[in-house]
Amino acid sequence: MTTAAAFATPRLLSGVLRGSLLGPLAAILLWELAAHALTGAFVLAAPSAILVYLSENWALMGRALGVTLANAGAGFLIGNLAAIVLATIAIVLPRSDALIRGLALLVFCLPLVATGPILRVVFGPGPWPQIILAALAVYYTTLIPLLVGLRALPSGWLDLVRSYGRGRLAALVHVRAMAALPYLIAGLQIAAPAAFLGAMVGEFTGAERGMGVLTIRAMRGMNVEMTWALAVVATAVAVIGYLVIGWVARWFLRDEPPIILAPPPAPGRNGRWFAALINGVVITCAALLLWWAGLKLLNLNPFFAKGPWDVVTALFTAPDAAETRSTLAGALGETAVFLVPGYLAGLLAGAALAMLIILVPAVAGTAMPLAIALRSVPIITTAPLVVLILGRGALGTVVLVAIMVFFPTFVACLHGLRQAPGRIIDVLNSYAAGPFEQLIRVRIPAMLPAFFAAARMNVPASVLAVTVVEWLATGNGIGSVMALSASLSDYDMLWSAVAVVAILSALGYAGVGLLERKVLRAYAPEQLL
Amino acid sequence: MNTRTGITRRHLLATGTAAFGASAALGLSSRRALAQSKVSFQLSWLHSTQFAGSYIALQEGFWREAGLDVSLQPGGPNAPVEPPVVSGSALIGISAADYTAAAVEEGAPFRILGVAMQKNPFVIASLAGNPVNVPGDLEGKRIGMALANTPVLQALCTLNGVDIDAIEVVPTQYSPQPLVAGEVDCLLCWETDLPVAMTIQGVDNVTMLMADHDYAVHSQTYIATEDSLANRRAEIVALMAGEVRGWEAYRADTDAATALTLEMFPDAGLDLETQKLQAARQVPLMFSDLTDANGFGWWTDETVAANIETLALLGRTVTPDLWDRSILEEVHGA
Amino acid sequence: MSVPVVCAGLAKTFGGNVEAVRPTDLAFAAGQTTALVGPSGCGKSTLLRMVAGLEEPSSGSVTIDGLPPTDILRKAGLSIAFQDPSLLPWRSVRKNIELALDLARRPKEARKIEQLIHLVGLDGFADTRPAELSGGMRQRAAIARALATEPALLLLDEPFGAVDELTRQQLANDLPGIWEASGTTTLLVTHSVSEAVMLSDRVVVLSPRPARIVADIAVNLPRPRQPDLARRPEFAEIVDEVFAALAEGIAETLPKAAQ
Repeated sequence: MTTAAAFATPRLLSGVLRGSLLGPLAAILLWELAAHALTGAFVLAAPSAILVYLSENWALMGRALGVTLANAGAGFLIGNLAAIVLATIAIVLPRSDALIRGLALLVFCLPLVATGPILRVVFGPGPWPQIILAALAVYYTTLIPLLVGLRALPSGWLDLVRSYGRGRLAALVHVRAMAALPYLIAGLQIAAPAAFLGAMVGEFTGAERGMGVLTIRAMRGMNVEMTWALAVVATAVAVIGYLVIGWVARWFLRDEPPIILAPPPAPGRNGRWFAALINGVVITCAALLLWWAGLKLLNLNPFFAKGPWDVVTALFTAPDAAETRSTLAGALGETAVFLVPGYLAGLLAGAALAMLIILVPAVAGTAMPLAIALRSVPIITTAPLVVLILGRGALGTVVLVAIMVFFPTFVACLHGLRQAPGRIIDVLNSYAAGPFEQLIRVRIPAMLPAFFAAARMNVPASVLAVTVVEWLATGNGIGSVMALSASLSDYDMLWSAVAVVAILSALGYAGVGLLERKVLRAYAPEQLL
Repeated sequence: MNTRTGITRRHLLATGTAAFGASAALGLSSRRALAQSKVSFQLSWLHSTQFAGSYIALQEGFWREAGLDVSLQPGGPNAPVEPPVVSGSALIGISAADYTAAAVEEGAPFRILGVAMQKNPFVIASLAGNPVNVPGDLEGKRIGMALANTPVLQALCTLNGVDIDAIEVVPTQYSPQPLVAGEVDCLLCWETDLPVAMTIQGVDNVTMLMADHDYAVHSQTYIATEDSLANRRAEIVALMAGEVRGWEAYRADTDAATALTLEMFPDAGLDLETQKLQAARQVPLMFSDLTDANGFGWWTDETVAANIETLALLGRTVTPDLWDRSILEEVHGA
Repeated sequence: MSVPVVCAGLAKTFGGNVEAVRPTDLAFAAGQTTALVGPSGCGKSTLLRMVAGLEEPSSGSVTIDGLPPTDILRKAGLSIAFQDPSLLPWRSVRKNIELALDLARRPKEARKIEQLIHLVGLDGFADTRPAELSGGMRQRAAIARALATEPALLLLDEPFGAVDELTRQQLANDLPGIWEASGTTTLLVTHSVSEAVMLSDRVVVLSPRPARIVADIAVNLPRPRQPDLARRPEFAEIVDEVFAALAEGIAETLPKAAQ
């Protein structure tokens, strides 16, 4: 045993070196060379230049990182606590489940570009807008896996609790809470980088220090080394956050956190249309009530705080309603031109690469952890880089949206492809079916649930990506309309845009869910309850 | 011009000494007696030498002596100035005539109390090898700018008889990179940021100040609500008085003002050389014969008329009532 | 301590059209062990779950010691053990037993728990997690958990169903003595005829779904029962009688061709 281990270690090490270090090393070398070739274009900073910048400015960078991390950490705590509280309510009061999910999705679909200034006005100076934006960026991706995890347990465990005359609360405390822990961890892993992103965007609403402040400074100052150094640090933080949470999880769960992060589509069998409609109406009413009550409670000035009725007026009855509608429709059209191809390209690329890796398994060892890690790179830092490299035409935006969609899809699809039941694979092997045939006949159908789960969760993510890019880089589409209407005090337009974007994102999510049910009914009926 | 500055500075020194003497005589109790009223001042961008006059006022205690405890709130790319001023959480904000006009159209009860940038800082920046020196040079060029600024370009063209259809507008982010990379021939930007960045990075560039070609829009204007003007007048006067003193001191030594900025905001990621150049380039925009004659922040009916004309080209209808000079008149003792 | 159980007109229909249990009248005497035997999926587990108060009857009622099951549950007066041991994987054997006491709001006496672990033959495994136990050991732990609250009514749903034949016999030899000694009323659902005869005082034979009583057979064999009882003719006689009743139930329910 010991000898075998001692013997295996150097081989393992060299394998790791060849497999997972050689690739990145070559990439870094290429990066260095490319950067030197492109000096003067102010696009690419060489790894060596980034290191020099970091070594010269580590104190500044460290302080900024400390501030942003503190806000991200506070938001991470608040957002995840909120998710846990909401999930608890949904479990203890099952009737509230659909309402909580619906409202949570709607709030998650609110574009950061627009919520930022509103939060700044509500909270005034200080770190709260950063913290709340970080919390808003994380709660949904924790809530959803948590709701899955709280229900993913053998019915016998619940019967056990009931057989002692105890109710839902005891089931939650004694059984569900621990059973959901792996799912909570999976949610937290996604949440860590998202919180960082939220805190950085929050700094754009007026902050004295932090990584977001430095990012703006670097972009404006054409300081390429600084831009890339910030991106490298943010990426490293995001990846480390992801890994640390995973490591802690393995330490006390003795198990890998699950990867699937979306619930199966809500039961929507034929004949349940009426129930779905009622559900939609209830969620809409609750959202409008919350909106109205929120403005009243916070006692916000009507100059910038517009209620549901103001938005209806602006969109339908005001003298310039037609103009407002056409502005919004035009901007949404511009956005769709980037969003839809980017979204589809990201989905297809993610699924395709996952399949390729199944056919060429040698790559999987490095690709999977790399993709999981890269999934956590915040868009605020990638946006400037991609735009630097690809320019601000359609291509840059489409690619950015695709990147945002690509990584989660890839991770989910690879997981799905590997879920193919071993016995069915054995049956195919017994007929000497090749890997390609196995892929087509067994693995792809097995992948579909994971693929669609990713497709659904990526709707709000891609909207976030496209609005951020439009706002920060390209200056067109709905992201730009929102930023511009805020600076021109056109708050009717801003709130209308927010409402329309949130509703369209939620509808997009529901639309993908509908398609998902149709496809799964044919290929994976066991996924539909 | 020199004499005028000299007088102002002497005047400043005198009041400063007097105030110092008073507080020294009364001791600590006097400071407590001067109940410090908390005032929030909303800036329009991240902390930088762009607001160095205000930093001097804060650091030198120009406001403290007047019983004001001023907190300077930074802005940012996603931080509109108008809402905190409307809601009263900021007493005064830094806006610009065009943004203020837009907010007033939406029902905000704003008045412009002072004009920090007499000349609008918008420029057309181009590379020295392919310069845009006069508006006519724009024809046949590709200009990089945010599409939202199309009315600005339109106004410039109208004012100078240039055919806007002969200019190719390329939507870009606010960065000098597209110009340096040759994707565009020129940029619509501020005199004090992107051209400074290019100069510091060693890119030889020229700028054409739009204000020199009849584009008259007051920038970095001080705004407050009518309500504040009526009910918190004393604080506004004190705040503006501090501003005036701070900016006069800034003008006297922009390098010192820049050094102070970096000292006060070590975490803002500011580069000393960039900030020094920006501070120097800001001076001719903020100070003119008009301010030399009448004091910092001043305007006349003529400049307001020119502003109203340009604003009309930008689609904003305003009346001279938008400008309220009473605070400045009190500050400058006119 | 033991309680009588009375089912009156007890029936269950799922989703409005799937009939699982036909209206059934059944009484279980206090302190007796009754086995419910029937083909797979006949509805015997549903019957047991209705007695346990886990399933709401479509019609009829269950009374335990004159009270509805929910009242008994509230007093933690019954325990149930399933085919799947349903141990929480993150808790050790001891902690799983303690969970039952926690849920029943009973004090956790370390000595009694230790004794219970000893009785089910898990000495030395008190602090082991379920994943490290064999299937048989997990069932032992589940039985220990069910007995920890000293229930007046013990409901066993195929408790030895998920293990291999040898282990099953071993468990059937080792465990029933423990609850028989406490004199609790016991309902045992099983599809093993010999196990039913070996462990119970009475065997109720059910037809295929929807469940209906085909035969009610008394098992008047002396206790304590030893493994060699299975080779005795009186044992075989009862076993044959049960098999005959099962076959009759199947014949009546299914068309001839389906056999």
